[in-house]
Amino acid sequence: MPKVTLINPDDTRTELEVAVGDSVMRAATAAGLDGIVGDCGGGLSCSTCHVVIVDDAYFAKAPEISPTEDQMLDFTAMDREPNSRLSCQLVMTDEMDGLVVRVADPQL
Amino acid sequence: MADTAADIDRNEAPVLDIDPYDIEVLRSPYEFQEKLREAGPIALIPKYNVYAVGRHHECETVLKEFDKFTAKGGIGIQDIRKPGDFRVPNRMLENDPPDHTSIRNVVMKYLSPIAIRKMKQKFDERAATLADELMERGEIDGVEDIAETYILDVFPEAVGIDLPRPNILAIGEMRFNQSGPQNALYHAAMEKAQPYLGWFESSCQREGVRPGSIADDLFAAEDRGEFPEPGLASNMTRSLVGGGADSTMAGIGHSLCKLAENPDQYDLIHADPKKAGLAFEEALRLEPSFHVSYRTTSGEMELSGVRLRPDTKVGVFFGAANRDPRKFEDPDAFRIERRSAGTHLGFGVGAHICIGQMIARAEAASILSALAERVKRIELAGPPVYKPINQMRMLEKLPLRLIAA
Repeated sequence: MPKVTLINPDDTRTELEVAVGDSVMRAATAAGLDGIVGDCGGGLSCSTCHVVIVDDAYFAKAPEISPTEDQMLDFTAMDREPNSRLSCQLVMTDEMDGLVVRVADPQL
Repeated sequence: MADTAADIDRNEAPVLDIDPYDIEVLRSPYEFQEKLREAGPIALIPKYNVYAVGRHHECETVLKEFDKFTAKGGIGIQDIRKPGDFRVPNRMLENDPPDHTSIRNVVMKYLSPIAIRKMKQKFDERAATLADELMERGEIDGVEDIAETYILDVFPEAVGIDLPRPNILAIGEMRFNQSGPQNALYHAAMEKAQPYLGWFESSCQREGVRPGSIADDLFAAEDRGEFPEPGLASNMTRSLVGGGADSTMAGIGHSLCKLAENPDQYDLIHADPKKAGLAFEEALRLEPSFHVSYRTTSGEMELSGVRLRPDTKVGVFFGAANRDPRKFEDPDAFRIERRSAGTHLGFGVGAHICIGQMIARAEAASILSALAERVKRIELAGPPVYKPINQMRMLEKLPLRLIAA
């Protein structure tokens, strides 16, 4: 199963196995990670699963940003960065194995 | 009733000869919901000559595929494009992308998570004040004393419109009966709302709006030319007032009812009030505020192997989908740790997913967590009574006893 590493706000790292077709947000909330809130459950309505993709190469491999995600990224609690994504839209593929993201802080 | 198996062989929708608006169905919809799910992926309701879907997969499909299932015919049982009963269409909701989206993007700016975060502190303060008052009383009504009192305290200020209780309750009852068939409920609600129609019309105009509110932002956006056409600020304010008060009050009522009925689940939020939002979410799964919403087939087509007629209404029954055992394990159980946000259809799905969902969540989390901090146990002090409304699922009375921690 593809692996994703999340760098938490306290700089600890959490490695998660995320099934292909599952989102990083779902995997992180299921694992009880406090840094990812995901209030709306992936409905592109809350902007509380904000992450920053560390490596540009992975940013290019990730699914394309939809116009709605692009708008919601302007409403995040931590300011948007060039490699910002909402992790509910980071749906895993085999290609994304090894993805490293920094968890935005704050989310609310 | 027609022979279901034979109908499926001919790829026609099976016939389900039940009136989803029968007063007893509205009071207790579970049996109807199950029959709808088990009739087939989509059924025909002969009384109204409309289709109905109740399985999660098909409900989601109808709501997401706007090119096949248009919202332009309106979200009620009548096609608003055809002659008949006139009502003001909601120009965002009763519309499809891309026109819908250019309006929604503007409204979203003023209902965004940033806007809601600014309101949260006030929501919490008001919730604390109300919860303190409630603790001094013995038995209370969860609908009137908590859901209505709290929402009518915080929501009018957020939207920027004064909402006197009798006015908004009568208007809500009218709007959500009006979207159903012209039955006794419809006529009674229309009559009850007559004295308030003038108030409703004028309250959604610029003159009545409070500064620094969402409606104020919408009128300012209109002045800056942000909306694609004129008149949208008032139309959107109208839909916020109509969509934001009743549905949230309903959801808070359902949450309190489920928490009283399931003390083990209440214990979870009493131990950790941050989990109050999960209780609201799970209550909306079991008892979504809306009974049904419609789309209209845009042509002849097929859904899950069933041939559909063009230009026909399709009712999406949210409660049926949210208890579909194909999607949810042990679907009738209230379990707040399920984390079904984004999977249950309590806020809808697709292009028209509830635009006010983050206000609703913030309000509900504020009042439920304020109670969770102060109350050890919530007990039913009498049977919950549901209020029959054509399009909604809502409690009328919820007698509760709050036992202090």
